[in-house]
Amino acid sequence: MRAREAIDLLARHRGDAIAVCALGMAANEWWAATKSEDSFYMHGAMGFAASFALGLALSLPQAPVWLINADGSLCMNLGCLLTEASQAARNLKHFVLDNGVYQTVGGLPMVNDGRTDYAAIARAAGFPRARSIEALTDLERQLPAIVGEDGPALTVLRLEREQGFLRTPPMTYEGPEMKYRFGRALERRFGIEVFGPQGY
Amino acid sequence: MDVAARIHEQLSNCGIKLAASLPDDWVAPLIDRIATDNRIRHVRVAREAEAIAICSGAFFGGVRAVALMGATGLLTCTGELATLNLRHQIPVFLIVSQRGSIDDHRIYQEVQGRRTIPLLQAYDFPYHILDRPDDVSSIPDAFETCRMQKRPFVLFLTRRLVKGGGTA
Repeated sequence: MRAREAIDLLARHRGDAIAVCALGMAANEWWAATKSEDSFYMHGAMGFAASFALGLALSLPQAPVWLINADGSLCMNLGCLLTEASQAARNLKHFVLDNGVYQTVGGLPMVNDGRTDYAAIARAAGFPRARSIEALTDLERQLPAIVGEDGPALTVLRLEREQGFLRTPPMTYEGPEMKYRFGRALERRFGIEVFGPQGY
Repeated sequence: MDVAARIHEQLSNCGIKLAASLPDDWVAPLIDRIATDNRIRHVRVAREAEAIAICSGAFFGGVRAVALMGATGLLTCTGELATLNLRHQIPVFLIVSQRGSIDDHRIYQEVQGRRTIPLLQAYDFPYHILDRPDDVSSIPDAFETCRMQKRPFVLFLTRRLVKGGGTA
């Protein structure tokens, strides 16, 4: 399956999940598919969308949180799987876009050249549920069960390698504006106070 | 009341509900103490930058959080502090041992001693130093300053504070 196909399918099954997206392809494609402001799109801290999503999930146990991660980001912080497994947040689901390349910089190959089974790593780290899915039809068939199961759960989406750059444009806002749009969206939905009475 | 208990009490006064930690030996007693507090969700991490990102995610869940680590760990996560917290103006409150001070006679801490604060100044990350037990009462002010500054704020613990007088 191709990245856009996989993301479109995830977006259709998202329901009311809050999403945290790794920087680059994951963030750009999720924005293209959802235009959602109750998603946080990482612009840096490569590897740490997983930790950000974990902190959010632990703080909002009533909210389903989806992490849209990518293989390059996961490899930059594989230790996140240990922390995620140990915290066992039932509301957190971890998806990994796995195409074996750094797509955002032109499709240069990653270090492991397709040898690595991330689902097996997750199981060994303590995830009770982890699987890899290659075909779009399989993803479509399995997604309702994946959406309904308890976290922590990791689903690796094995994507076709695409040539060169993906030119999907990034979200149309950034930095502090992203902070306030995301935080205000969560305040409205959950009745929580992210920002204090003076706005900070 | 010992210093770890005093700091813990002040963190509770700040409304801290989540702590993410990777220990060094100076902050270990505080981490041990927080780990037994069932009002605070304690997250042990494998790398300090995880703690930074976990606290940042908790911010958006409306939960007040603290990251606990040694000075060496702080140096490892300056990139994440810059590209996540500085970029988005997300406050994150760190409690860090001020290793490499003149009374810290561990050779492998020497580099951190003279470079850490200039590094924070280069990033324009505010910091405050707790050196004596009476300083601990300033923690709520430091936490509020972190929120207002909307960026990483480092609260250093000196050796004199956590270990008492003398050298090691």
